[in-house]
Amino acid sequence: MAAYLIRRLVQMVPTLLGVILLVFLLFNWVGGDPAYVLAGKFSNPDDIANIRRQLGVDQPLYIQFGIFLRQVLTFDYGLSWSTQEPVSHIFLTRLGPSIALLLPMLILETLIGVAIALAVAYVRDSWIDRALTLSTTAAMSISLLIYIIVGQYFFAFVLGWFPVQGWANHGEGWVRYAVLPILLGLAVSIAPAIRLYRTFILDEMGQDYVRTARAKGLSETRVMWVHVLRNASIPIITNVLSSLPGLLIGAFLLERFFSIPGIGREVIMAVERSDFPVIKAITVSVAIATMVFNLLADLAYQWVDPRVKLS
Amino acid sequence: MRFALRRCGVLVWGVSLSLALDLSVELGLEWYWGAAGLGSGLSLTAHAEEVEPPAHRVLHISSSTAETTLDPVGIQDLYSAKLASVLFEGALTYDYLASPAKLIPLLAEGMPEISDGGKTWTIHLKKNVRFAPDPAFKGKERTVQASDMAYTLYRLLDPALHSPFSFLLEGKLVGLDDLAKKAREGKQPYDYKAKIPGVEVVDASTLRLRLNAPDANFGHSLAQPNLGIIAPEVVQFYGDQMGSHPVGTGPYFVKRWMRGASMTLDRNPYYRARPWAFESGQDPASQKVIQEMKGKMIPAIPRIEIKIIPEAQSAWLAFRRGETDLIDLPSKLSPVALSRGHLKAELVKQGIQHEIAVEPEIIGNYMNLQDPMVGGMDPAHIALRRAILMSSDDEAMIRVIRKGQAVRLSYPVPPGVLGHDPKYKSMLPYDPVAANFLLDAYGFKKAADGLRRQPDGSPLVVRYWRTNEGESRDMEELAKRGMDQLHIRFEGHAVPFPDLLKAERSCQVMMRQFAWIADYPDGDDFMQLFYGPNIHANNVFCFQDAQWDRLYQETVALGPGEKRDQLYQKMARMIEMYGVMKISHARLHHELLQPKVMGFHISTIASLAEWPFLDLR
Repeated sequence: MAAYLIRRLVQMVPTLLGVILLVFLLFNWVGGDPAYVLAGKFSNPDDIANIRRQLGVDQPLYIQFGIFLRQVLTFDYGLSWSTQEPVSHIFLTRLGPSIALLLPMLILETLIGVAIALAVAYVRDSWIDRALTLSTTAAMSISLLIYIIVGQYFFAFVLGWFPVQGWANHGEGWVRYAVLPILLGLAVSIAPAIRLYRTFILDEMGQDYVRTARAKGLSETRVMWVHVLRNASIPIITNVLSSLPGLLIGAFLLERFFSIPGIGREVIMAVERSDFPVIKAITVSVAIATMVFNLLADLAYQWVDPRVKLS
Repeated sequence: MRFALRRCGVLVWGVSLSLALDLSVELGLEWYWGAAGLGSGLSLTAHAEEVEPPAHRVLHISSSTAETTLDPVGIQDLYSAKLASVLFEGALTYDYLASPAKLIPLLAEGMPEISDGGKTWTIHLKKNVRFAPDPAFKGKERTVQASDMAYTLYRLLDPALHSPFSFLLEGKLVGLDDLAKKAREGKQPYDYKAKIPGVEVVDASTLRLRLNAPDANFGHSLAQPNLGIIAPEVVQFYGDQMGSHPVGTGPYFVKRWMRGASMTLDRNPYYRARPWAFESGQDPASQKVIQEMKGKMIPAIPRIEIKIIPEAQSAWLAFRRGETDLIDLPSKLSPVALSRGHLKAELVKQGIQHEIAVEPEIIGNYMNLQDPMVGGMDPAHIALRRAILMSSDDEAMIRVIRKGQAVRLSYPVPPGVLGHDPKYKSMLPYDPVAANFLLDAYGFKKAADGLRRQPDGSPLVVRYWRTNEGESRDMEELAKRGMDQLHIRFEGHAVPFPDLLKAERSCQVMMRQFAWIADYPDGDDFMQLFYGPNIHANNVFCFQDAQWDRLYQETVALGPGEKRDQLYQKMARMIEMYGVMKISHARLHHELLQPKVMGFHISTIASLAEWPFLDLR
């Protein structure tokens, strides 16, 4: 196990270097010169040269790349170019709202998705199964934007059940603000989850061990919730863990429409302001998180199914 | 089953997290969550008034854009400037109701005493004006001194801070530029303690400023939020995080702040007694404001809650639900709220108030006078530029892109700004027929493919630059339509905004739509755009004409008045005559207010927040 872990961690290094190089080249190629934006309306060539010097963008590319590497290794991306706020502080303070929004959504999506998928797989080809397949297909065909616009208008504005926008910060509760965005996010994500998990479960239900379990006289509940679910859980875990890095970039549409101060909204603002330290930090962090969660998924396979050997 | 139990465990943890978050905000512990990465609140309540104002005495505001920084020298966006205008105070400010803008004293006892032919300005500051409470003062009472104002002036030119508004003082105060230049060249650190002739602290409340040359607009510099007076010990205490710790003498201070999301401003407990005493506006709307507010104190509202709501739908629904009290109506929402420019009947019935004003800005297409294809001062190329500008359909631009929420302009100085001429008539109307005639007359003949060529037979291509935003794509469509009418080959060229600025400042942009909003409410802010020595800076037209530059220099020395207005008219005509820019329009600012809001008037100064001058019924 330790050897496997070390090997995987070592393998991450070239991948990460590749990501860093790609991000660096992309920003230098398409990003433009930030000094012209930061210098303001009344800038002259001297002002621009002064800003370029202070940002270090007047340095040769290899030195700039070295600085970027050091920033990744120390997780110190310096200050935001537009707000002068430390990038690490931006990360630290915006991550909370994104996680508080997305983690319950992911948990609910997984629990409800697995439960419904088990139920419909059990009654496959019945009218319930067909109706659910139809409705999930329809639900998947509608954009998140439509869910948000209609949901916000109907549930918050017309019915007044929730605030139109806002986030818990001045003494009002998280539940009050988070429920509607979570429900709308869930409405979008639950349909593909059900379809996917149903497929995983149906694959398992056709296996010989299920027939054997039933022949042994096990209850259907035990067959489905223990034997089938356990074997179907490997692709489910893959799916859930591959969704986790998404927590780092937030749900930018939900955060933007509901004025939630999360990472997703920060990314959009950073792009609008060409705030490259913030964009670079988030891009690289998501890449690292993706690699780490992939590794965790592999480790989880063995935990769920001891027959899986990590080599 | 084990799997399900594990999942249940995760759910329990998630619910616990949510409840803990919920409880923490109820208990006012959101800062701790922020530090732990689980929230984003920042409480600045250490020395704040502890009395919570009643809910009906809280003004709720939304902004579509987030603040950038609240360090006065770093501010360049309007929303941050508005915030700074209520947190900091300079020596001067503007009359809330006056149009055109009128300077009045704020921290100064009176208007500056100007002597030595306009080169010496003596400012007497009010005594016993206290900074808002802050840990930087270590519990001591701190009053504003003349040395604080001197420090503030020095700081604007500190090269390490590269203030986007350093132009307010550049080249103005004797000796200050030399100090900055030496620091920029690395010869010595920027010395805040260096004595220079341009800034003399006479006594604790008197500052004498000596200018390199008389400057009628210097008062406007002193009234900008970027010169809001700060205390040196606050800068030392917070270092490069000054932008997160605004400490001034303004009517409000920051009680809570989630950067980029929300802010709570509370009445500064140390704010001096300042009666609401504006009397300038003679129009009925201003008179109504005077009636409502006379006899009250500034600020009347004890708390302001600000939320950043970037999406127009969310902002509109929040306003309609009463979650916010004011909304600066985005043009995309105008069909929802307005009918023929007036508030819809259903909103009038609900008592919603509507204020409207023209933004102090100019928007229009320009040509680059140094461009190899369309530049040059020979008659043929002047005719070409004029023809191109005459193909610009301004009415369509207002109707289609601005959704009718803009007014046609043709003068380079917009309404509400000193030097505006409402009677000016443009010599560049939208007239494709006349434009084609002009091109024919100057030898831009059509070739076999139906497209025009240069008089020497070489290709003629107009390259229109724009950013990648949706609105600028629409502008390009309109520009293309104009070129099609003139039978000129058209190329759209979309680039990222920084690249556009870079190309513009190196005179590589052939044509694009340009907008300029007033930094200070004087015509000079607009006319300097065309001044020859400003090429590679603000003169993006790369226009240089000796006669025009001479006239401009005369206007700088003159200051506002009839004589300067006459020169401006001549200069505006030359801008059109040479085909430099066609001023097209300025956007309308619609502000909607809940019935309970009193005293609102759209200020002619975009960076001046109205909030301290309001009250709630």
